Amino acid sequence: MYEDLSVFRIAFDAARHAGQRQAVVARNVANADTPGYRSQDIEPFSLSATKDSFAPKSTRQGHLSATEPARLWSVSNVAEPGSMSPNGNDVSLETEMLRAIDADRQHNRALAVYRHAMTVLRTSLGR
Amino acid sequence: MNEFSDALGISASGLRAQATRLRYTSENIANTDTPGYRRKITSFEAHVEKGRPDGTVSSGPMRLDPSALARIHDPAHPMADEAGYYDGSNVNLLIEIADAREAQRSYEANLKIFDQTRQMSSALMDLLRR
Repeated sequence: MYEDLSVFRIAFDAARHAGQRQAVVARNVANADTPGYRSQDIEPFSLSATKDSFAPKSTRQGHLSATEPARLWSVSNVAEPGSMSPNGNDVSLETEMLRAIDADRQHNRALAVYRHAMTVLRTSLGR
Repeated sequence: MNEFSDALGISASGLRAQATRLRYTSENIANTDTPGYRRKITSFEAHVEKGRPDGTVSSGPMRLDPSALARIHDPAHPMADEAGYYDGSNVNLLIEIADAREAQRSYEANLKIFDQTRQMSSALMDLLRR
């Protein structure tokens, strides 16, 4: 019963999505003054992306895939009209702040869900 | 966890690049009145590791601004020519101040992201603490 609890998996995936988004935001902010750099974002978190029922099953990570492990969410350039500066850079620090806060809140939310589910488990075990 | 250390490294590279830029700006301001001084500029570029960009930023090679030096009329100056002119620097204080402000703003943004990433990873660590 306890071996595959979907609430933990979803919380884990949400936290990982937030972490990956934070890395993308950090890259955008670091390159805010790099000529020719385009702002990037990852696709929003959704439950369907976490199921990946079509993915081949492997008994150990690294058996099947020689590629990078676990890049579930694709990174894409997001064009924001009107924010392109003359040197070809379209990073807007204000938008990045918003994304960073978004990622932070999602991460906190996921961790809260995880912690709460853990508490429920502990209570049911009587500890 | 890997993403967090990535993000911290990238933010740190941004801080380093902005600090370098700020240093060039302060050198320029300090040398505003140095005869024949050309202002130093640098351009940021994506850092390439093993043939592909790894997301971090680095400041490119230092270049000298090739624009014309200011001709200053001062016959009493030891470097003045027969007409009484000598070459000043091509530093424009207005540009330098604006550049410094922009560098400061970007530095703060990077610092903010660094701090937030650190908080996120420590929240993750808190889960293990119980």
